[in-house]
Amino acid sequence: MKQKYIVKSMLAAMAAVLILTGCASNSGNKNTDSAGASKGDQVVNVFTARHYDIDFAMFDEFEKKTGITVNEIKGTAEELVERMKREGESSEADLFITVDGGVLNYAKESGVLQPIESETINRNVPAELRDADNNWVALASRARVIVYAKDRVTPDQLSTYEALTDEQWKGKVLARSSTNLYNQSLVASLIELNGEEQTLEWAKGIVANFARDPEGGDRDQAKAIVAGVGDVAIMNTYYVGQMLHSKDAEEVKVAENIGIFFPNQETTGTHLNISGIGLAAHAKNKANALKLIEYMTGKDGQEMLTNGSFEFPVNTAAELPELLKGWGEFKKQNIDYAKLGVHNKKATELLNKAAWK
Amino acid sequence: MKHLLPSRIRHKLNGWIVISGIGALAALLPSLYILTGLLRRPSENWAHIQEYMLFNYAWESLLLTGGTVAATVVAGTSLAWLTTAYDFPLRRFLSFAFVLPLAIPPYIAAYTYGSMLSYTGSVQTFMRNTLGWSVDQRYFNIMSMEGAIWIFSLFLFPYVYLITRTFLEKHSASFIENARLLGGHPVSNFFRIVLPLSQGAIAGGASLVAFEVLNDYGVSKHFGISTFTAAIFKTWFGMYDVDSAIRLSGLLMSFIIGLFIAERWMRRRRRYHLPVNRSTPLRRMRLGRVSGGIAATVGIIITLLSFFIPVAQLAVWAVWTYDDVWNDRFFRMIGNTLGVSAAAAALLMVLAVIAANASRTWRSGITLVSSKLLSMGYSIPGAVLSIGVLAVFISLDKRLAGVYEAMGFGANKLVLSMSLIMLVFAYIIRFLAVGFNAVDAGYDRIGERYSEASRMLGHGVTATFFKVELPLIKGAVLTGGILAFLEIVKELPLTLLLRPFNFDTLATKAYQYASDEQIHQAAIPSLIIILLGVIAVCIYQWMGRRGST
Repeated sequence: MKQKYIVKSMLAAMAAVLILTGCASNSGNKNTDSAGASKGDQVVNVFTARHYDIDFAMFDEFEKKTGITVNEIKGTAEELVERMKREGESSEADLFITVDGGVLNYAKESGVLQPIESETINRNVPAELRDADNNWVALASRARVIVYAKDRVTPDQLSTYEALTDEQWKGKVLARSSTNLYNQSLVASLIELNGEEQTLEWAKGIVANFARDPEGGDRDQAKAIVAGVGDVAIMNTYYVGQMLHSKDAEEVKVAENIGIFFPNQETTGTHLNISGIGLAAHAKNKANALKLIEYMTGKDGQEMLTNGSFEFPVNTAAELPELLKGWGEFKKQNIDYAKLGVHNKKATELLNKAAWK
Repeated sequence: MKHLLPSRIRHKLNGWIVISGIGALAALLPSLYILTGLLRRPSENWAHIQEYMLFNYAWESLLLTGGTVAATVVAGTSLAWLTTAYDFPLRRFLSFAFVLPLAIPPYIAAYTYGSMLSYTGSVQTFMRNTLGWSVDQRYFNIMSMEGAIWIFSLFLFPYVYLITRTFLEKHSASFIENARLLGGHPVSNFFRIVLPLSQGAIAGGASLVAFEVLNDYGVSKHFGISTFTAAIFKTWFGMYDVDSAIRLSGLLMSFIIGLFIAERWMRRRRRYHLPVNRSTPLRRMRLGRVSGGIAATVGIIITLLSFFIPVAQLAVWAVWTYDDVWNDRFFRMIGNTLGVSAAAAALLMVLAVIAANASRTWRSGITLVSSKLLSMGYSIPGAVLSIGVLAVFISLDKRLAGVYEAMGFGANKLVLSMSLIMLVFAYIIRFLAVGFNAVDAGYDRIGERYSEASRMLGHGVTATFFKVELPLIKGAVLTGGILAFLEIVKELPLTLLLRPFNFDTLATKAYQYASDEQIHQAAIPSLIIILLGVIAVCIYQWMGRRGST
């Protein structure tokens, strides 16, 4: 009796597996079928490394407006590039979305992108925020700024990223770990502007001034300032925006007690971290893909994006949210974002050498 | 042990071997792909990696793993012993509650504790605003090596606890009662009888803990600890050098294979085959009022820290963010999570049983090594394994292009790698160790006498399996299945990259928020993951109880 029961339940389990995987692969096929060139005007397949609710909301809005379904596969940027590389011509990807100019350039160098040809997009996005060969265009940007304790530091004590290595900040500087893309990208930009040697000295100087070993995320640096662990921190603007709108009254308090300083205004400008979108080399729904880029970089899309994430829009026609308006105009680093990709490896090596954890 | 087996059985090739051979081969491909990374010529970055990362990072990993294994073995074994051998207030509740931390993914726990103890967290806020204390931040800093060991130990000790407890409950009675009758002191009984007797179970649990720590990236990244995994990702994401990342993973894998062989070799002569299988359960001794009170208090503190406090904190955050985060899509995510986890866990257990059976019937170097290799998927970071899986499936798809075209999918199509089959396959490779260890421990317990008797009486290997062995190892199969299910529900990196279009699970949703430091928003998906885990644990307890009466 008993063993029959066991055999039966094992068979049932196997049958369930077959049915489940079968169903799932069918539903998968439905998508990929309609993604094919024969029928395909109703879908666009996105490989995205941005995981924000606002992105999904934009895709929904796009779907409502155009009737084109947006399918997505997510992952970290490097994984997705690796996947597209391996899939080659058969890849189902139409678009690649990610944070960081360096990775966008890596995708381009890996041969998984192709030029975007659209007058509308060229009008939406200024040339300096597009790849030289239009393999990708920026969607939004965040400024990597210096934040400071309002009660202990005055803005006139601050000037540049470089000045954070001064003696007066000994034991007072906070930053997150060097595994973080934003830090790698900032260092890559400094390599481009100041050269490798000087940047290594800079990184060593920052490490020498650390208030504690790097830990946590950007928000944790802000909290550490208010808690008195350190006085100044390097972090992204949009986290400050999110903290000001947090449901946690204590987080709002923290955000209110820190000041934002846009560094290098007299010199090279504040570092920007860009999010961007690229057209996949073997896109099978090219027309739909271009429509989605046009929508996301258009005035409406850009306003939706900046209001949802507190990133800076790339389309100058887009109206800024009040908070961002309040921060005012500032000078941005004027560099070729492709260079960040070129220098990213050096930046990682340099951070290792400086023992930036 | 070979001499115990009749030669007829030892040398016979049978269906089990063939099936498990094929299964092993398929499941081994991704791991082999990663191991071959060691044979390729190192890239120009390798010198830098060796100088600045390899040894420091390996050392930190060793510290972290060693510390966690030590803590989980101590906690898991002593709690298992306490709840099986003694009776004290709340024992029944506690022996169940000690399993619950398994439902919480360690990285969620790390974010929760990190946030809770931070300057704006509930603990410090209470002290500052209500009590008016100003506190030194250093005492609240959990984001350190010690903090990581603390988090891993709190949330992984149930592996050791569960496997050891299952073993002690069913199989230690005769030894312990004899020792008690002979007047052994409880402490010396524990060290001289319980520990040596249950070393197989403890090692099984501890190796799962070690794997989990070695492949973790979420906790160490958030806490800023330079583990070996961090080196792998720095190489891949910072230097864009996939080949060196694969090479580092290959190194990690061969280190673990070495550990396996060493462990096996050290235990080779120490096998306890228990004389009776269904022995009467151990009679619990009642603790006195004071010691009983202490036992209950310690137990309560551990459960509070490892389950109820973080869950309560998540619940508060869930209420805060309910309006922003909750929508109907969660029902689909729950369905997806449940469906794919149950399917993969069931298939995985079938394979685990086949593999364990084959490695037992046909004891040889090759079966031993390949059964261990099958477990390798558990030891390396999921993201790297996913590259191995992708490599296998995409090349398979390209080879099958002609077949797909004939079947009407169209030219140049990816079918397998765009379907759930790839994800299910990846889960199986990743967590086979969980199922295999449990089944292997089950076989370990029943020894060989029943199977030998059955086979000598004329049953084949298969009939012996269904009529004799399976009823005996049913509990172990169930344990393995539940553990695997729990793991798959929590799994992240594989799910993220290998799922088909639009296939969201609860874990990917939680990650979406947590990766962007929106820990409050991550509370709702995290709580549902935990709830599913708790239900699985309850089912397990209920079936276990029904089975033992």
